[in-house]
Amino acid sequence: MLKINNLHNKVETQDGEEKVILKGLSLEVPAGEVHAIMGPNGSGKSTLSYVLTGRDGYEVTDGEMEFLGEELGELEPEERAAKGLYLSFQYPVEIPGVPTITFLKEALNAQRTARGEEAMSAPDFMKFIREQAKALGVSMDMLKRPVNVGFSGGEKKRMEILQALILQPKFLILDETDSGLDIDALKTVAEGVNTLRSDDRGMLVITHYQRLLDYIKPDVVHVMANGRIVKSGGPELAHELEAEGYDKFIGEAA
Amino acid sequence: MGAITHTPAEKTLIDLLDGAEDWRAAARDAVVRFGLPTKRAEAWKWSDLRRASHGIETAGQAEFRLNGATAADRLTIDADAELELAAEAGISVASIEIDIPAGTRVVLKERYSLAEGAFPTARLEITLGEGAELERVVLCDTPENSIPVVRSRVVVAKQAHYRQATLTFGSKLTRNETHITHAGEGAEVELGGVYLLEEGRHADFTSTVTHTGPGGVTHQLLKGAVAAHAQGVFQGKFKVEQAAQQTDAKMTHRALMLDDRAEIDAKPELEIYADDVQCAHGNALGAIDETALFYMRQRGLSEVKARAMLIESFLAEPLDMISDDVLREELAAILRQRLGAIR
Repeated sequence: MLKINNLHNKVETQDGEEKVILKGLSLEVPAGEVHAIMGPNGSGKSTLSYVLTGRDGYEVTDGEMEFLGEELGELEPEERAAKGLYLSFQYPVEIPGVPTITFLKEALNAQRTARGEEAMSAPDFMKFIREQAKALGVSMDMLKRPVNVGFSGGEKKRMEILQALILQPKFLILDETDSGLDIDALKTVAEGVNTLRSDDRGMLVITHYQRLLDYIKPDVVHVMANGRIVKSGGPELAHELEAEGYDKFIGEAA
Repeated sequence: MGAITHTPAEKTLIDLLDGAEDWRAAARDAVVRFGLPTKRAEAWKWSDLRRASHGIETAGQAEFRLNGATAADRLTIDADAELELAAEAGISVASIEIDIPAGTRVVLKERYSLAEGAFPTARLEITLGEGAELERVVLCDTPENSIPVVRSRVVVAKQAHYRQATLTFGSKLTRNETHITHAGEGAEVELGGVYLLEEGRHADFTSTVTHTGPGGVTHQLLKGAVAAHAQGVFQGKFKVEQAAQQTDAKMTHRALMLDDRAEIDAKPELEIYADDVQCAHGNALGAIDETALFYMRQRGLSEVKARAMLIESFLAEPLDMISDDVLREELAAILRQRLGAIR
């Protein structure tokens, strides 16, 4: 479903310097599978999520990334979204003045229009969002508030999952979804993610800690260091990392 | 200082006002002696009227219309009404004096109908009697090549409430002056404004609020968004006289630079002679939040749509003060439509 081959990229830092982050990353996630990427801070995990979704300033210098058989590199972020690529942000963005309901309705219908589907009517949308919000314990009152404004860290992460439930993407990238969550919030969010697991949907779970993977069980675990995947294995690899730390893998990457 | 050489626009204006009385005579005299204001005049340093008027040489016609008919020079308004400033191409002047009687409540919808190449100088004198309420909603949607110069003087008696909401899209040069005398003693003034300037447009908001009596409340909120090669100007002044103790006045101007080549000039001023007052001003310029833009695009919104939503959410607040739902939604819809074209 998602095939990344020998991906290199560079970013421009705030002081105008160019910095190479991804250095030949290769990875393949088939439909129906959940893959985890673990790695120390600075290994390039978040950069990978931005490169895949097309953020400005994250330039691909070499390699390919193919999603459902199509090269992503030339597509705008909104085109990638309409194809079904969804990023749950590590730090969900506050958008003052734009009510969450309005935002999601506009986003869903923009995606549907881009795919040549019919826009969802306002009553159908309200029914749909009400059902999904209820399942996730999100009140309609919260949905009327501006996107993420004044929400706690846990509420923001829950909103990210709610947005995924509304937009029904084909592929989810979860960037540090566990950060800032207490154990109860983590369980709620993981339950939401697990309801999205299906045979025709893939997921890439980016995390620093093994904890999240107790609740979202991956099929494959990749270890990332210094801009590359340095080791891949089954779920047991996450426990191995937790017990032994990243050092030995970083050593292999250097 | 030697006599100045008048531009064709100045000559036309001088001829137009020849033999005039009252304020017109004073205006003519000023043009004869100094010409049209240039950036060398402190009050016009970011809006060079003389320069903008180049190319406009003929005289035109301008008039105020009330509910569709030519308005008298001086009138009393005690019910909701529509005021229109209409001007054809060329240089023109128009004037109206409006009394809002004590205790009445009026919503005045004001709009400008200008032809391409219109350069009207308009003067409004508005007087609010005790306890009167005036809500003045101004839509300044003018052709790119026009130069509206509109100066309003508003006298607000005690217990009166003056509310002004202006939506401006700018032009070659748009100057919107509001000068308020605020009696305090239960009187309140709310000044709201929004400007959205496409490439090549210029809009100047200049206002003074002079508090003359105690306990006056003033709230000013101006928000703008300016594209490349466009210029937004805000000159706001609160003056608090010694008798105006316990004045509560707040001035806020916030604007978005939509491009590095946008220009926004702001001069907030407080001049306070009373010692027991609460006065504050805030002025902030920023750019579109690129992180928010990416977040919205990642959810499937096009860049144009995402930008329009972000700018609209930033600009909308001053329009919230319009009490009439239909009128507020009408202006919001006009703003939204113009945002669809902004880059």
